[in-house]
Amino acid sequence: MATKAKSAISGTEQLLSRIVDGLNHVNKKLDSIIQLNKNILSMQKRLLRKYSIQGPSVTELKIEPDALSLLSLPASLRKTVMVLYKLEKATAEGLAKETGRLRAVESAAANQLVRLGYLKKKREGREVYFYIESPMEIEK
Amino acid sequence: MKGKKRRVITIHSSRGGTGKTVIATNLAAIYANKGLNVVLLDLDFRAPSLVAVFSKTIKGPIKHWLGDFLDGRCKAKQALIDVSEGYNFRGKLLVGFANPSIDAIRNLVEKSRAWEVTAVKKLFSLRSTLFNEMGIDCCIFDTSPGVQYTSVNAVVSSDISVIVTTYDSLDMKGVENMLVELYDAFAKKTVVLVNKVFPETRMWSNREQKQLISRMEKVLRHPVIGVIPCFCDVLQAKRTSLLAVEKPNHPFVRNLEEVAEKLEVGVETNLEEKVVGK
Repeated sequence: MATKAKSAISGTEQLLSRIVDGLNHVNKKLDSIIQLNKNILSMQKRLLRKYSIQGPSVTELKIEPDALSLLSLPASLRKTVMVLYKLEKATAEGLAKETGRLRAVESAAANQLVRLGYLKKKREGREVYFYIESPMEIEK
Repeated sequence: MKGKKRRVITIHSSRGGTGKTVIATNLAAIYANKGLNVVLLDLDFRAPSLVAVFSKTIKGPIKHWLGDFLDGRCKAKQALIDVSEGYNFRGKLLVGFANPSIDAIRNLVEKSRAWEVTAVKKLFSLRSTLFNEMGIDCCIFDTSPGVQYTSVNAVVSSDISVIVTTYDSLDMKGVENMLVELYDAFAKKTVVLVNKVFPETRMWSNREQKQLISRMEKVLRHPVIGVIPCFCDVLQAKRTSLLAVEKPNHPFVRNLEEVAEKLEVGVETNLEEKVVGK
């Protein structure tokens, strides 16, 4: 009985030792992945610094929001642009009144459209207005 | 539409030859005859036709075209010509003409996407000019067929679109695609009008008509607002003749009057509930 117990303990120890070895191996791999990630992040930072001086800034993106190109936008964003065809300029509150959605939803949608280059935004006093930049003046 | 909601109606089709312009002009005449103040705009810049239709009633050369308004070269009022006198309508009919000259067509076809953005905004601004400043009750856009900038701009800026189609399988397939990919995407109120269905000689009962409408509504998943038979004399009539004025008792006009009534009243009641996007 004693011999059997000894051999079972020895087997368990061996198994544990192999698990520890395996975990150490995984740990080393994770360390190298973390290091690689750090390298990528620092490379990205260097590139962003370089292009923010020499290249076009992301905020300079401009896409013409013509009716046909709206078809490639998600329905939630399309609705916001369509309201701005009508209103010329609007705050998130004004957009929400037209679409019947929450102000926060409109704010998120309009800001996303600004980032995508479809809309512009400007501050007038305490209000932030979203608008479509148009090359021609609207004359009634 | 007096006492009712003023609206902009777009007349559109997936392909040419469905009778879009005949429908648009006669619909405008029906409303003007009822005493409404109507504006009809030729937004088919690639193949303008309203100049030919109203040629007898236009006095002198046209100074400002619809394209001039969209280009910012004139005001909306300057681009609208009152043709009601020539027809003795109870209301007014003002028409915005598209320039049929090759140069003007080429000029408008070559416009940039930035210009199209301004154009759609101008169509939106136009409605407040028409409804709030000029006392207009109804505005009808006669558009170019298929998916083109001018027609899509019209669809986006209108309250309701009427897609005119024949019973031809290609036409129907085109309408089916447009409904899904264009109209539903813009969540626009849309109805279908089937034109030139059967020869006028084939008499059909109300039951037959209802069955056809029901079948088509199942396939298109949008309301079918009317079914107009194919009348030989309508096809053969001169393009300068307005049937709603010259032959007000013609079955084509009677059919169209029902459509006009539904657009005026029905769309705001039971039909509206069936409209996708509502």
